[in-house]
Amino acid sequence: MDIPYTVTARPDTGLYNAKVGIWLFLASEVMLFGGLFSSYIFLRVGADYPWPVHELNVTLGFINTLVLIGSSVTVLLAWASLKLRRIGAYKLYMLITVLCAATFMVNKTFEYKAKFEHYSVTLTDGTILTGHLPHGYSLEFGDVKTLNLTVAGKTSAVDADPVKYVLPYVKGDVPKFRTEAGEEITLDAASFAKLKAEAHAKAVEKAKAEQLKEVPNWSVKLTAAAPLTFSVPPSKLLAKPAPGATMIAFRDGTSVEGRMINDKMTLEVDGVDLRATPDKEKSLAWNEHYLGSAWKKAFIEQRDHAIAEFNEKYGDGKGGTTRDPNKSATHQKHQFFMHLHSAKPESHGADGAHKAEAHAPAGHGEAHASHHPEVQLERKDVQFFSNFTPKLNSYYAIYFTLTGLHGMHVVAGALVLAYFLVCNGRMLREDPERLANRVEVGGLFWHFVDLVWIFLFPLLYLL
Amino acid sequence: MADSPQEIQKAVRKILWIGAILIVFTVITVALSYVELPSHSWNLIVGMIVATFKAALVALVFMHLNHEAKLIYKILAFTTVFALAIFLLIYFTSLDPLEFARF
Amino acid sequence: MSAAAHTHDHTHDHAHDHHEPGFIGKYVFSTDHKVIGIQYAISGLLFLLFGFFLMLLMRWSIAYPGQPIPGFDIVSRLPVIGGIFNEMIGRWAPGGVVNGELYNMLGAMHGTIMVFLGIVPLGFAGFVNFVMPLQIGTIDMAFPRLNMWSYWLFFISGVGMLASFFLGTGSVQTGWTMYSPLASTTAVAVTNIWMHGHTWWLLSMVFNISASLLGSVNVITTVINLRAKGMSWMRMPFFCWAMFIVAFLLLLAFPPLEVAALLQFSDRVFGSSFFLPTGLMEGGQHLDISGGGSPLLYQHLFWFLAHPEVYVLILPAFAILAEVIPANTRRPLWGYKAMVYGGLTLGFLSFLVWAHHMYLTGMGTMMSTYFQITTVLISVPSVILLTGLMISLYGGSIRFTPQMLFASAFLPMFGIGGLTGLPLAFTFIDLALHDTYYVIGHFHYVVAPGSIFAFFAGVYHWYPKATGRKMNDLLGKLHFWPSLVGMNLVFAPMFIQGMGGFHRRWYDGGKYFEQTSSASNWFTELTSGFFGLFGMEVPNNLLGLNVLMTFGAIILMLGQVPFILNFFLSIKGGEKVTSDNPWNCTTLEWATPTPPPHGNFTFDIVAVRGPYEYSVPGMNQDYFPQWESEPGKAAEPSAVPSAPAAAAHH
Repeated sequence: MDIPYTVTARPDTGLYNAKVGIWLFLASEVMLFGGLFSSYIFLRVGADYPWPVHELNVTLGFINTLVLIGSSVTVLLAWASLKLRRIGAYKLYMLITVLCAATFMVNKTFEYKAKFEHYSVTLTDGTILTGHLPHGYSLEFGDVKTLNLTVAGKTSAVDADPVKYVLPYVKGDVPKFRTEAGEEITLDAASFAKLKAEAHAKAVEKAKAEQLKEVPNWSVKLTAAAPLTFSVPPSKLLAKPAPGATMIAFRDGTSVEGRMINDKMTLEVDGVDLRATPDKEKSLAWNEHYLGSAWKKAFIEQRDHAIAEFNEKYGDGKGGTTRDPNKSATHQKHQFFMHLHSAKPESHGADGAHKAEAHAPAGHGEAHASHHPEVQLERKDVQFFSNFTPKLNSYYAIYFTLTGLHGMHVVAGALVLAYFLVCNGRMLREDPERLANRVEVGGLFWHFVDLVWIFLFPLLYLL
Repeated sequence: MADSPQEIQKAVRKILWIGAILIVFTVITVALSYVELPSHSWNLIVGMIVATFKAALVALVFMHLNHEAKLIYKILAFTTVFALAIFLLIYFTSLDPLEFARF
Repeated sequence: MSAAAHTHDHTHDHAHDHHEPGFIGKYVFSTDHKVIGIQYAISGLLFLLFGFFLMLLMRWSIAYPGQPIPGFDIVSRLPVIGGIFNEMIGRWAPGGVVNGELYNMLGAMHGTIMVFLGIVPLGFAGFVNFVMPLQIGTIDMAFPRLNMWSYWLFFISGVGMLASFFLGTGSVQTGWTMYSPLASTTAVAVTNIWMHGHTWWLLSMVFNISASLLGSVNVITTVINLRAKGMSWMRMPFFCWAMFIVAFLLLLAFPPLEVAALLQFSDRVFGSSFFLPTGLMEGGQHLDISGGGSPLLYQHLFWFLAHPEVYVLILPAFAILAEVIPANTRRPLWGYKAMVYGGLTLGFLSFLVWAHHMYLTGMGTMMSTYFQITTVLISVPSVILLTGLMISLYGGSIRFTPQMLFASAFLPMFGIGGLTGLPLAFTFIDLALHDTYYVIGHFHYVVAPGSIFAFFAGVYHWYPKATGRKMNDLLGKLHFWPSLVGMNLVFAPMFIQGMGGFHRRWYDGGKYFEQTSSASNWFTELTSGFFGLFGMEVPNNLLGLNVLMTFGAIILMLGQVPFILNFFLSIKGGEKVTSDNPWNCTTLEWATPTPPPHGNFTFDIVAVRGPYEYSVPGMNQDYFPQWESEPGKAAEPSAVPSAPAAAAHH
């Protein structure tokens, strides 16, 4: 009582079950990636910023392409070897395929990691500074005397839990706290649980006494024995505080009052993108507190150089150009996107070098032996910042979604192939034909993964 | 489907050749992307033509769509139509916003 | 293939035969298509009941805004159940009064549960798993283990959806459509975004989609590759055809929804801006987003699924009726071929009409025109299907069994649903009616007295095959009549309200929209007068209809009690069937023992004729089963020529 056509093909359709199944599955996958590519087109057509070209690590992408093509070949060779009953060769090729998949994922990890550590800051005038945050980015908020907790009356999305969401951001040692009843406690999970139960009991009592329809929220004040200073990343707060805010709220709803000591962002700048800045020469980046006039000069030099080069390349001999400089994405990038490779601007002319050095920005960078100038950005000048993650813009969003989903397919495919290699020893001995079918079907999926990458690589890395 | 040992050996040679061609075309894709054609759309079109060619090789030879049962072609034909529908119709609607100036 | 392999298969077979799976293997983690079908069907029915319960709460709030739900106090004080109820619903309804927040949750979850966890699992997965392999004469689905996975993934998605009610945030609140940007940005300021009803909804949908992907791959492969000898494509019952088409819709339309869900997930959890335009503000403040995305993209991806989904909901109904009606009229299905081609055309076109849900989004006139044309076109195959079923009644000697009652009610009910949809195909009417109760009335007529009636018919029809006993006739009729009356009382007034401009999301039923709701007509006067007879004060304007609809819903609820009793009591107490073919049907599922054992058929089954040979002239009996060469004698497999091998395709 076995299901028919698991090994041999049904005569009138010419297919065995698994093959019909895998092609149907691939058809579904086509629609999945079809939807994603369609989103890509939609986002790209509608993008209101210059779409990044050659911004990812092309070398890594290129290597990964070769790795995937290689694995596609070896999975076929594994199938052919199995058909010819060359078991050793089959195992070897299968192993190479799985190792290729592993290499692909390792490369991907490097690529992702670099993105997570790289930041982009949009200033209020549209200038974009890219770089690294040597110390991360935390707000420093001090002079805090009391924690205002809110114990929710019912199961709620925001409910006081200071031990997990507030105390980790206290700078220095956590002092003792005094409750409203005057009791001195060390705030930890146990003491807070007790506190919370007491507060809730009071709320229930009140609801009963006043015949309320539901148990109200109960606020609890904890006074610190010594003033607290917090150092907290903005993402750990419930809402982004305005510059100079006197109150911040943590993710568990606990709010504290105090003074913003420091909300400046220290950025090691490795790029200045002025494509969206209306007046490039008056960009905030050239502010003396930031990059200063020496870098501005370097920028002007680069821009003029790019223009001269463009005119030389596409000049029509009559003073005009054969191509519209405003429409050439590459030219715009060469003109207005400056990469910074040193702590101080390099200069092209002797005269320029002298001046640049004289006016070099105050070198915080030198202390860290950095290769980039370091600036301290005022909160009020920063419109938006993010590391190179989906949050940054729709390009990185679709990049991570597409490559992430593709990476998951690589992992899944590799696991299936590894399963055939490791766990199907008995089938290999007793029914190699059936295993060959399995390898063929697994291979079809693997080729599909390769096929998707063939489109992903140029669309995301190159074009 | 190739089943006799000779046919399989022939297929192996073909596979290696196609693998080599794919690698060559990957190099071509990368190189072409650095050439500035009259506009970036040209780069896109050329790049996509090369990618489609590579994808076709993979689909036809590696996934042996060059000789597959009729039924598979039927399924894939419908899938292609619907995939094109989701590509093109979404794209067209984005090109055709409602313009109140025309009322 | 080597001889060794054969030997191995053989020994394996033996081992299999002697190994009796225990209770868990047989009824819980079963790979048998019939058990999985029943699991799906019962889960689907339970979810339908739950979704219906959510709807009752909504209807109460619409008819009596600000008044406590009757019985709220009693339920919330019950031990255990009361605790669950309070955590799930009660904590959002202080004093038993449904507030806007709870209403939104109920609305979103009612839609989601009915569509994705109720109708599809029952109508498609349940019936197709139980019936289809029997009808095409095979022993099981092509991939039994995937089939089991399909059910359990669906189960996980169901549990995830239900569990989202218990989270701190409560369940999702943005409607079953989850339109961005609202759905991308609301309520993200919470302690933990992963423990959020919305996040759980999106992840549950991913499980649900995976389940339906596995299911549809299985169904299509089975139909293609496992048909019995002689069961050619055009001998396949229309049931299998329709389900085959549905499986394709699920296979190809669901992935874009998965994309939409993943992108929205990314928007909410990773802060991306797929669906958020530049400069989006909330509460007078710029959001901390990059922008550059498009809310339209979400709607495209969503409706690319959700339109074919409509046909996923209705085609199983046609599938079931194409079996129930001929069996009860003793007439062949009229226009079998036309219906098959109509179904295929319907499936194809359903992918090309989605943006008729989006006329209000500022789509240009060119594209609107295109979508209007395809939308009007798609009504042609729908009408072919309905006409086929209707003409099948002509000249029949109809047996009004409960299943036939439901089937015959389906025809006009679906007719109303379909015809009221036609005006919505045109932009100029849709602009006025969009998002009003008119639309709600339209699609509920399609899916509630449409699909769900057909599924009831299916349950009554195949119940004897699954259990060996018939369901009770009287209880069946007690189920049918209140259901029919209740359904119409709930949904018909919606057309009147909708044309009066009632918006679909008013949690107070329009109480605070006096200008709109104070209109009255003869129908509202009549309603008010009717309730007046019982001493109830009901406004004599459009608001009064809310009360009427709520009473309709209560009648509908009472109508389901006989069904629930019938369903469970008949397992042990129903009238025993005396033959394997109690309704004298022609299709192969009635050739199996009752209930069908593991492996289904006791003899080598072949199909020798078309599926609907009822009342063949010159025969003694009024049906001629597909598997019989002459009445009462199963055809010999050797008598059927093998299908020719596919031509080599080089």
